[in-house]
Amino acid sequence: MTTKARQQDPVGAVMVVGGGVAAIQASLDLADTGYLVYLVEKTPAIGGAMSQLDKTFPTNDCSMCILSPKLVECGRHPNIQILTQAEVQSIEGQAGDFRVKLKQQARYISLEKCIACGACAEKCPKKVDDEFNRGLNKRKAAYVKYPQAVPLKYTIDKDNCIYFQKGKCKACEKICPAGAVEFAQEDAQLELNVGAVIVAAGFRPYDPSPFAQYSYSRFANVVTALEFERILSASGPWMGHLVRPGDEKEPQKIAWLQCVGSRDINNCDHPYCSSVCCMYAIKEAVIAKEHSHGGLDATIFFMDMRTFGKDFERTYEGAKERGVRFVRSRVHSISELPDKSLRLEYATEEGEARTEDFDMVVLSQGLEVDPATAQLCQDLGVELASTQFVKSGSFSPVATSREGVYVCGALAGPKDIPLSVMEASAAACAAGGNLTAARGSLVSLPEITPQRDVKGESPQVGVFVCSCGINIAGVVDVKAVMDYAATLPGVAYVENNLFTCSQDTQDKMAQVIKDQGLNRIVVAACSPRTHEPLFQETLKAAGLNKYLFDLANIRNQDSWVHANEPEKATDKAKDLVRMAVAKASLLEPLSEAKLSILPKAMVIGGGLSGLNAALELTRQGFETHMVERDAQLGGNARLLRVTAQGEDVQAYLAELIAKAQAEPLLKLHLDTAIKEVSGFVGNFKTTLAGPAGEELIEHGAAVIATGAAERRPTEYLYGQDPRVMTHLELDAALLTGELTPQKVGGAVFIQCVGSREPERPYCSKVCCTHTVESAIHLKEHNPDCRVTVFYRDMRTFAERELLYKKARELGVLFVRYHLDSKPQVSLQDGRLLVTALDPILGREIELEADLLCLASAIVSHKDESLAQMFKVPLDQDGWFLEAHVKLRPVDFATDGVFMAGLAHYPKPIEEAIAQAQAAVSRAVTVLSKTEMWLSGTVAFIDPKKCVGCGVCWEICPYQAISPDEHGLAVANAALCKGCGTCVASCRSGAPNLKGFSNQDVMAQITAMLQG
Amino acid sequence: MTEAQFEPRIAAFFCNWCTYGGADLAGVSRLQYPTNLRAIRIPCTGRMNPNFIMQAFRQGADGVWVSGCHPGDCHYIAGNLYARRRFTVFKNLLEYAGLEPGRLHFSWISSAEASKFQQTVIEVTDAVRALGPAQHLIKDIRKVA
Amino acid sequence: MEAIAQKIREAAKKLLSEGKVDVVIGYAKGSVPMREYPYFAYTPEEAENLTWSSFCCNNLALYTIRRPGRMAVVAQGCVSRNLVNLINENQIKRENLYVIGLNSPGMVDRRKVQALFPGKTITEVIEEPEHLLVKGQGFEERIERKKFLRSNCLTCVQRNPVISDELIGQAGPEGHGGNIDNVAAPWEKLIPAERWAEMQETFKDCIRCYACRDACPLCYCYVCFVDEAQPQWCAKSQDEADVMTFHLLRAFHCAGRCTDCGTCESACPQGIKMRRLTSKIEKDIRELYGYRPGMEIGAQPPMSLFKPNDPQDFIK
Repeated sequence: MTTKARQQDPVGAVMVVGGGVAAIQASLDLADTGYLVYLVEKTPAIGGAMSQLDKTFPTNDCSMCILSPKLVECGRHPNIQILTQAEVQSIEGQAGDFRVKLKQQARYISLEKCIACGACAEKCPKKVDDEFNRGLNKRKAAYVKYPQAVPLKYTIDKDNCIYFQKGKCKACEKICPAGAVEFAQEDAQLELNVGAVIVAAGFRPYDPSPFAQYSYSRFANVVTALEFERILSASGPWMGHLVRPGDEKEPQKIAWLQCVGSRDINNCDHPYCSSVCCMYAIKEAVIAKEHSHGGLDATIFFMDMRTFGKDFERTYEGAKERGVRFVRSRVHSISELPDKSLRLEYATEEGEARTEDFDMVVLSQGLEVDPATAQLCQDLGVELASTQFVKSGSFSPVATSREGVYVCGALAGPKDIPLSVMEASAAACAAGGNLTAARGSLVSLPEITPQRDVKGESPQVGVFVCSCGINIAGVVDVKAVMDYAATLPGVAYVENNLFTCSQDTQDKMAQVIKDQGLNRIVVAACSPRTHEPLFQETLKAAGLNKYLFDLANIRNQDSWVHANEPEKATDKAKDLVRMAVAKASLLEPLSEAKLSILPKAMVIGGGLSGLNAALELTRQGFETHMVERDAQLGGNARLLRVTAQGEDVQAYLAELIAKAQAEPLLKLHLDTAIKEVSGFVGNFKTTLAGPAGEELIEHGAAVIATGAAERRPTEYLYGQDPRVMTHLELDAALLTGELTPQKVGGAVFIQCVGSREPERPYCSKVCCTHTVESAIHLKEHNPDCRVTVFYRDMRTFAERELLYKKARELGVLFVRYHLDSKPQVSLQDGRLLVTALDPILGREIELEADLLCLASAIVSHKDESLAQMFKVPLDQDGWFLEAHVKLRPVDFATDGVFMAGLAHYPKPIEEAIAQAQAAVSRAVTVLSKTEMWLSGTVAFIDPKKCVGCGVCWEICPYQAISPDEHGLAVANAALCKGCGTCVASCRSGAPNLKGFSNQDVMAQITAMLQG
Repeated sequence: MTEAQFEPRIAAFFCNWCTYGGADLAGVSRLQYPTNLRAIRIPCTGRMNPNFIMQAFRQGADGVWVSGCHPGDCHYIAGNLYARRRFTVFKNLLEYAGLEPGRLHFSWISSAEASKFQQTVIEVTDAVRALGPAQHLIKDIRKVA
Repeated sequence: MEAIAQKIREAAKKLLSEGKVDVVIGYAKGSVPMREYPYFAYTPEEAENLTWSSFCCNNLALYTIRRPGRMAVVAQGCVSRNLVNLINENQIKRENLYVIGLNSPGMVDRRKVQALFPGKTITEVIEEPEHLLVKGQGFEERIERKKFLRSNCLTCVQRNPVISDELIGQAGPEGHGGNIDNVAAPWEKLIPAERWAEMQETFKDCIRCYACRDACPLCYCYVCFVDEAQPQWCAKSQDEADVMTFHLLRAFHCAGRCTDCGTCESACPQGIKMRRLTSKIEKDIRELYGYRPGMEIGAQPPMSLFKPNDPQDFIK
């Protein structure tokens, strides 16, 4: 031993600051890979902005519905400690060993004792604007943030509490049945020891009050977009009825005004684009039209429509088809009419002044960093960009200026949910990767309650009928349903809950199951799609096999859709409960097969995304095989000059390749194709065909990072004149010095070459920025160069808008063109001429070009064979299709396979790298376990009935069935996804699907029609 | 029983990923529709055994409705496309044997198509109601016991 | 006919004496006229009992299912198609099968013959090239063979074997003049109530004996759906709903597989014309998916296939 300081192991805990979807995803990933997580949220509940949204674009999924399971998972995760009403004050120490000081406000209601019955709020005499509903209605001083809040515990708002302000009241304390109100609580100071910190404190919606011309604060029917989300939301102040706040009448005509607090340095200091407003405005307009009774007139006033993400352009086109009107203009003033409607004045594109009246105006407010968050970042030593968003480099998109402190989500720049989730996983990967030595050191293994053997017992069904506040009880006679349930055969216990899903009810339910000796559970509540896993966890906690459960959907498919027919809805609820009890009575405990996990990974594709994924995997200690079909690494990046932030791509790539070549855990397979894949999560067997012949690789997970290609244009004289080139060709020419800006007198860029066309109805996302960046390069090196850009919409989203601004300041000319009047390119006496109609001048212009750069589309490799081998889908444009567009952006429906980079959709370098890190984070949730359990809902084949005819193994979509040595079918539980197609196809009745067996369904049918 | 009073009983089978989700979304969107149907959740229309349709009619359903993902949207890659052939042949057979067209319905409704869901419920309910109570294939326990 | 029968016997004797097969499955003369029955010849001597006549109505493919060892089968067109089906459904291996193929002259429906002589007992039927000489106590009549063919044989378009290792006699014409489209799915032109009335009329005499199922070379499940108790798909009563359920689901199970061999009707003791129902399935499969069962070894059956553009007009 020398006297040198001992190399200490890092601390196996991570602090995540913020409680929105990014913070939640980062926490879940870290907790699932063996770290203890402190989730620090400022308000009384997690959920963030996403919990306030009505729907999410482009799929129009219900925001709360898809978020809620994640909230609950977070709330129940044994490795996650949620600290609400807490704020970070300081971070001392260094990466691997931070000491974080926190201040936690007193809640004045005991988390342990509160049963969330709501009596305190009901009794509380003090009404306060409800922040969750953006002040559109009132809450009490004793309140819960929102009905699905996690933790679902009430809190007392000290600043508004009559007792705290005036010294007497305590009505809540008197009414609370649980004795949970504790006025004596005091704020607490905490100090926690963590190895890394992730700041995911999110954004704040821009407050348009200072905008004089929009008169937001003066006119009641001018609302912000977030207010409009609450108006649309079924859980909002008007229960989802489309009304305007001024008089609660249904508007017939609504205008959305884009770029409020974005792309604006006159009214606010926000030169950036907020990235998400175009899409949310389209979404709101379409949903509002759906909510409206009399054919709503919806108009969106915009500068550029920035629908650059996956399936966004289709949503835009779809909105046009559904009658949403798009007007390219900035409204300059709003006045109020006597009936509280609003008069908008604007100029058309052609310069004509117009006046138009609307019933309601929605301001598409931008995203900004809360000054308090900005201050916190500065206090923590985290550097901010000029926009106040946290600064990060393109090559390390989630790292901040302080080592060991990471950032993700909207705090790192305005962005949508999937990108936030992706970054969250990336941050978890970056933070967790540094703490590999301490993985598992601070977490306790999940406590497994031994399962009670229910074999031989007659069904003892417990029925829990949920009131869901008034969601169910307001329509369905819950008492009558309970009384009816009690008469059903096998039912041993019936109970009603206000919110069956609340954590305290779940804990109670587990106790009831034990106390009453129940062996089948039916919950009559909401949808199994959102809540089945939650209730199943409760069964597990009660020592009951989780498959002994069924859910009767008496909310989404009953009370909510039969609001005016309470008697019929009650009858239906009884039928649904009877069906569920009939099914539950037949259910048998299912076992989940245990799979061992091979801690090795395969990365397919050796471009930037693949290299990042592979190096991150090896950094975390996992042997990784990289397969690249080319003879060299680097992919498209070999042709790229700089990032949007101006970083040198070639230098970075060289460093990355050198690292890859030197990494002992990384096995490179160049010039190699994938020939065959078999196996499943944890146990893949992939046959490679390379220069040295075939090789079989076994691995536990795979990351598909096969990239995409720049389309070779067929238009604008491409290939016929050397001056016409694509972006990659221009970059390559500038890199090699083949072309120097000094030699270019006139440069023309044409955007959307092959993108946003009927044949390819998507935006390639990166080309606008690439063009602007190239234009700036030309201008900076040759100020005399005449640079003209023909575009349809400039889509320099987020902080890229600053580049657009800079280009205009440098004198780059931007001319818009329509799809039906594209620029014309011709050769005259060796001169390359571009002619186009200038929509502002209203006449033809002609330009001579020494360089014509075509922003050609990025196209998918449409690698169907790879998709089939890994059993993952491609979408209609050929991009790999993720498991869920919003919340599982790098996962596939097939376990153990993940994706990154352009194979998913065109994207800039920093997103590709973030996605690569995210894919690793997700892959590590598999690889870091030595074993995992498979679903119990799988097919099994009765060998006594099978005749070996082969129908099942021919049609199984997962090739999960094969003949045994006797020619009889055998299903592989590890491959089976439980679709049941084999069961329905078999004439002999040999296969059956556990959990959805023939017996179960037949019993449900019989029970349905028996009443 | 007059036609105005007749409330048909409709057995519905929805795939978990699309139509069941569409039905849930109709709920979230508070889209109102007739109360006549009772849904059974199956993982995929590929799971839909024609015997289930038979059983529903045997138990006295006045109508049966099976709905899943649009072609191409199947969560299980192609379960709905195998099902499509099964449904075609089975529906043709039942109607050939005398089942009135309008008793047995099929649709593709995604998890985002709440309003299509609502419209289809109305359509199916109206069609079945117009036919009156089911007469054929009913296994009347009392009659044979 | 007798000349063909003699050739079958010779071929069978040769195969058995050379040990090429363990058994020759063919037809033997019934103990009553017009009731030829399946016969298993294990020795050259037993091969002498093999016959060939206008009354070889059982589909011999049935007897090959899961039979161990090597076997030869006397196979006219329909039988050969069912053998192909069984090969495709992994029930027999082509290499264990020796097909003694022959052209089918079309089999005669014994009920149609009997109907000419109501109340009389036929004691002998003598085969002549185009005629049958029907004899009984106190009567004798020569009838024209082709007027008494089974209805499925009238519309058959595959009389020659689709596979054979040895062809007995000459290949003959494939069709027999009847057009399947004129007779298949006869109720299609009716309105629903009339269709149901036809269903009721057709199956009213069913006694649920399952002779149709037991004679069918497609029905080889260990447990038939009608016999399952968990769940019970169909009760065992003669209640109309149960009878209909049985016939509808059985017909559906034959979708894409039925060769219209007519064995079910020949086997039915009640004379039920179930082809009125099953022909609908055969027609749909042919018209919707362009498929005729049993024509090709290795063909993917239509019910375990799909095409992206399969018809779906009926789906909302």
